Amino acid sequence: MNRYLPLVLIALGILAFATLMLVIAPGVQIAQHAVPKGLNPYSEQESRGREQYVSLGCVYCHSQQPRSPDQAPDVERGWGRPSVAGDYVFDQPHQLGTMRTGPDLLNVGVRLPSESWHLTHLYQPRAIFGWSIMPAYPYLFEEKAEAGPEDTVVVLPKGFGPESGVVVARQAALDLTAYLLALDRTYPVPEDALRDDGYADRESGS
Amino acid sequence: MSSEHHDDAGQGRSAKRLIFAAGGGLALVAIGALMLEAGWVPGWISGRAPAPDVAESAYFQPPSEAEIPDGPFGEAVKRGRDIFMNTSTNAGDYVGNGLTCANCHLDGGRQPMSAPMWAAYGRYPMYRAKNDQINTMEDRVMGCFTFSMNAQHSVAGGPPPHGSDIYRDLESYFYWLATGAPTNVLMEGSGFGKVAKTELGYSPERGEQVFAANCAVCHGPDGQGQTDANGRIVFPPLWGPNSYNWGAGMARIDTAAAFVKNNMPLSQPGKLTDQEAWDVAAYIDSHERPKDARQGEMTVEQTRQRFHDGDETYYGQQVNGALLGVGTPGPERPVGAPELPIGPTPLE
Amino acid sequence: MTRINKQKPGKIVKPGEDFEPWESHNPVPLPVIWIAVALGIWGTALLLQEQDSKVVAQAEREAGEAAAHDAAEGGAALFLANCSTCHQPNGAGVRLAVPPLQDSEFAKAGPGVVAQILLRGIDGPIRVKGFTYDGHMPSFAEALDDAEVAQLASYVGARFGGGETVLAPAEVAQLRMTHSGSGSWQGGAELASLVADLPPQPPMPATAEAGLDPAISDLIFAGKGDVWSCASCHGGLGQGAENTPRLAGLSQGYITKQLHDFRQGERHNEHMSFVAKGLDDAEIDGLAAYYAGLRVDSTAQPALGGDLARGEQIALQGDWGLGVPACFSCHGPSGFGVGAEFPALAAQQPAYVASQLAAWAGGHRNNSPLGLMDRISEALPEADRRAVSDYLASLPAVPAPEPQAMARIEGGEDEL
Repeated sequence: MNRYLPLVLIALGILAFATLMLVIAPGVQIAQHAVPKGLNPYSEQESRGREQYVSLGCVYCHSQQPRSPDQAPDVERGWGRPSVAGDYVFDQPHQLGTMRTGPDLLNVGVRLPSESWHLTHLYQPRAIFGWSIMPAYPYLFEEKAEAGPEDTVVVLPKGFGPESGVVVARQAALDLTAYLLALDRTYPVPEDALRDDGYADRESGS
Repeated sequence: MSSEHHDDAGQGRSAKRLIFAAGGGLALVAIGALMLEAGWVPGWISGRAPAPDVAESAYFQPPSEAEIPDGPFGEAVKRGRDIFMNTSTNAGDYVGNGLTCANCHLDGGRQPMSAPMWAAYGRYPMYRAKNDQINTMEDRVMGCFTFSMNAQHSVAGGPPPHGSDIYRDLESYFYWLATGAPTNVLMEGSGFGKVAKTELGYSPERGEQVFAANCAVCHGPDGQGQTDANGRIVFPPLWGPNSYNWGAGMARIDTAAAFVKNNMPLSQPGKLTDQEAWDVAAYIDSHERPKDARQGEMTVEQTRQRFHDGDETYYGQQVNGALLGVGTPGPERPVGAPELPIGPTPLE
Repeated sequence: MTRINKQKPGKIVKPGEDFEPWESHNPVPLPVIWIAVALGIWGTALLLQEQDSKVVAQAEREAGEAAAHDAAEGGAALFLANCSTCHQPNGAGVRLAVPPLQDSEFAKAGPGVVAQILLRGIDGPIRVKGFTYDGHMPSFAEALDDAEVAQLASYVGARFGGGETVLAPAEVAQLRMTHSGSGSWQGGAELASLVADLPPQPPMPATAEAGLDPAISDLIFAGKGDVWSCASCHGGLGQGAENTPRLAGLSQGYITKQLHDFRQGERHNEHMSFVAKGLDDAEIDGLAAYYAGLRVDSTAQPALGGDLARGEQIALQGDWGLGVPACFSCHGPSGFGVGAEFPALAAQQPAYVASQLAAWAGGHRNNSPLGLMDRISEALPEADRRAVSDYLASLPAVPAPEPQAMARIEGGEDEL
């Protein structure tokens, strides 16, 4: 072991090669993706909702990456078309997720476009699905004797609301709902975003 | 010297190894490609769907629509197809009810066991006991217009005359469907098939329940079929003035039972038991429908003796206190005749 | 690596104090190299293949665009794809149901008139060649673009009316602007203003301008008590989105039956059973009547990557090899729907159709009469289910089947 210089050079070379292939090249590739037509940047409220999404740890149970029909029946579950890189241009950091304890949410804004549905569901998921294992988030709401003019009242079936008075949404719940409603990647995929130029995909459809 | 020798030998060895390595790699690729082409690789590895087995069906396969040739013959085939699929419009002067050929000859006359035209074409001219003579295909289709399409209530008052282009076009379509089919052979899947007689016989009372449970959803609780928003018939009427008349083959219970057993409910052939098929056919054919076109001046009893003797039919029998075969009342104007103009008439 | 201690392999050396480990020259086994070489060749081949498919796709796109510009071809193809299921390939229509185009007064009036009918559709009685038809024709404004409407109208005018006028896409754009938001033509009576020398047309039957019951209106747009509003998911005009179904133009009987099924647990969907349990029979009838009377342009687009040609084949001819009859043989020509059991399919959201077909195939939905859809969905492979869903989404929306219930809501638009 007396030739340190070549050893160090080779090690650095390997490191540089790995950086080039694993970091720089993908970076260049991703940077080439234009913002898809139909994808809008998040508004201020939606961004606040996104922070809620991150801080509540939604990503631990919900993915944001519908998969192709060859891999999983996500299309038939109504979760939307397979996502492409361009769908995430405004997501820093992305919320792809690795777990699917709950359904995929990349298109939840189109699938469940009702704000009042989301408020009910966030306040108490069991009010809608008796079997749901999603945690409730009552601290995003407050109970009031009477709703003020500015308040958004949560629709609740009997037995889930307070004995008297109403449940109204705090700003955090409204923000989170606004973010969820903004999740919409149903615009057509830009042609250059598809592997094989979409050719193999079209073939398998026949 | 020796070390040079050694190096030469080493170079020779590495060259040999290089050749072996490349050759072996190529051989692996070649073997893999061959296996893929031969279809020995399971689908989950190759990602290829197994090729659909075209020869899966034991029945004759008629050509597809895309194969209709160009030119005058192709045009005749297309006209024939249009008449077959939409008879009340494209041969409207000779159709006195709401049916089309394709109502009973499913899938445009292709479906086995629903009297496919590819099986029928090569059998004519043929002797038929129905009229005790040799029948050409034209005679046979004329019979369809007379009975199944109830031509007596149409604008023309009868089937298309012999030599009409309607027959030529229809026969062009049948001939084309039978491309490659043998002639004079009773092909597998021809006709409506047969249903074995059951111990219990048939009964319209039991059939009524079968009808309500399996047929009414499409053909309506009253058997008069259903239309879309434009009034276009989607599910054909099974009895009454808008259906086939008493002279049609389908008015015989055995024929109707075979059709029902092998084709109905649509997409679920064979769902009904033989008993249910007989019963529901009896129920359908125990309702009044337009009179037998051959009756003329004869009474129902005379017609029964002459044309229906020995048939499995309710023609000329009393059902629920009424004589069947008298016929539904004729239409005020022939079916499909032009309407009176709108607005003030010259008299007003 | 260490030359000094190089020893002949095979000779057993007892480890001593000054033992240094060494590595003899063991060549990599040949099979490993074979596999490595094979993988290398395979990878290169894949890369080349991908390049190749890009070239092929590019060529196909260009060929497709070129074909679309070929006017005569395009007109005939558009006619077959969009008109022939009702007006028939030969333009003869269907006796007593669909007016003929051949020699009809409207085709003879030229492509301009044809284009205006295409853009707005018809709802009301119309008299053509001496027969009165109960005209319900969809609007093709959303299904076809200006160039396509121009081609199609010119083709219909030339083939069936014998005219030679050719309509330009710019003229269609103008017509589209003029007629935007005008709703459908109210039968031949209204069309008479468009066509000179038209024989007398039947009068439009008087429809009671039944305003929407305020209680039903509240349900649709505001919700009540513990029920969300219909519009919050299905859109103000029942147009639906993704796997929330389009409701506009479904028959009253079908909507009523589904809501009852949700309420009784015959059809499973937690959101809808939650909502349906809060509705009484009168409310269900009112909602069903409202949505059945709505005539709303299609908002659906093919989105599942299905093969449209295959979807069209299944919808129009079926695949009898799989035991699947044509969709339209029960759901009506052009997917307009029939009665309470066979809902309209045209312009339904593709994700919804695909998810329902999957639910039937998997046994999660089982309220189809006779199990018809269960059997058919099971028989269809997944790719076919997507294909047919996408094809149905490409069709124009159904005309309102029950125009007497037609009611438009002010302010409903902002829910869109």
